[in-house]
Amino acid sequence: MSSEAKPPSKKKEGFLRRQAKSKTDYISEEELLKKDSVTPDDVLRLGKSTEKYLCPPEANIYGIDFTRFKLRDIDSNQVLFEVAKPPPSYDAEDQEEPEVSDPDEDPNAGRFVRYQFTPQFLKLKTVGATVEFVVGDKPVNKFRMIEKHYFRDRVLKCFDFEFGFCIPHSRNTVEHIYEFPKLSEDAIQEMVQHPYETRSDSFYFVEDRLIMHNKADYAYNGGGHS
Amino acid sequence: MGLLTILKKMKQKEKEVRILMLGLDNAGKTTILKKFNGEDIDTISPTLGFNIKTLEHRGFKLNIWDVGGQKSLRSYWRNYFESTDALIWVVDSADRMRLSDCKKELHALLVEERLAGATLLVFANKQDLPGSLTAPEIREALDLNSIKTHHWLIQDCSAVTGENLLNGMDWVVNDIASRIFTMD
Repeated sequence: MSSEAKPPSKKKEGFLRRQAKSKTDYISEEELLKKDSVTPDDVLRLGKSTEKYLCPPEANIYGIDFTRFKLRDIDSNQVLFEVAKPPPSYDAEDQEEPEVSDPDEDPNAGRFVRYQFTPQFLKLKTVGATVEFVVGDKPVNKFRMIEKHYFRDRVLKCFDFEFGFCIPHSRNTVEHIYEFPKLSEDAIQEMVQHPYETRSDSFYFVEDRLIMHNKADYAYNGGGHS
Repeated sequence: MGLLTILKKMKQKEKEVRILMLGLDNAGKTTILKKFNGEDIDTISPTLGFNIKTLEHRGFKLNIWDVGGQKSLRSYWRNYFESTDALIWVVDSADRMRLSDCKKELHALLVEERLAGATLLVFANKQDLPGSLTAPEIREALDLNSIKTHHWLIQDCSAVTGENLLNGMDWVVNDIASRIFTMD
């Protein structure tokens, strides 16, 4: 649809480099599930959202933990959405685990988020998406994020960003400010009428090995944020 | 929004620009970054890692990295030198006690091979504070005139009021552009 949908083009050496060999050189989820380790090139070649997770939660041996997510409309400077994880509490009286996800006992519950937005959301022009994350006691090299957003089998947006090095015990933020993909009225209608068929996969790599895979789905038929 | 203003001036030759912002702790790096992007600056705490802003617009990309300045973090700065087009050195112009520290750290960066060729902007920040040194005074204290290896400029500014932030960033992007054109 727009140029936003393509994987990022020519990159400066040593930064944000690499892309799928070609747009049509697709790879299937099944093929990737057979691999010992999934690489950035692999996920760039995926043509749709995956059914399963491409790595187990234990693959994150670096203690990388996302602690905040914020979305703002740059044009009006309004915060559209913000969620933060409460800091871990070591207080003996506060042993109860907060109920944050589905009551179902899904081991992947923490890796999945469901968003409910209003139709107006699809008409935003420029948005800023901030994530904050903490890193464990090991230094992290070549940390890279690839996030793909789809409506059904159509790629709406692909982020590919290399953070590079992360300091042990650090708390870091990154805000991606970007133009929202321009959508036709028809496309907006479809997305509003078909909640949760807009999906995203977020893949995180350390030294080109997949260490985290998170998923989200989106509805745009809400009257407010849930 | 400051970043967008800057990015709109970028030319075909600088498709992607990477700016690294460093300085001693409490110099105001994160405040500059946030103010410049129209964010609230009331609740800023010391940076214990990095803050990145990335902006993409019409195929252009601008990335700004703000890395924490506490003493324990400075040895990690070198992990962020690669591919840097410009270094912004932020100075707390009211912190007279640490100006010699500030000078030492800056000059140590300028001999780094991976920063050779990077444009250098010095922000003489906190001009809104009473008793802050002027830009010429900071230039003297940091011995900027001795720098022959980098294109540099000192710009007085206030992150709190936003004064002159855009001027400084404008100069940075123009200087990067002129440098890239000369290399062709």
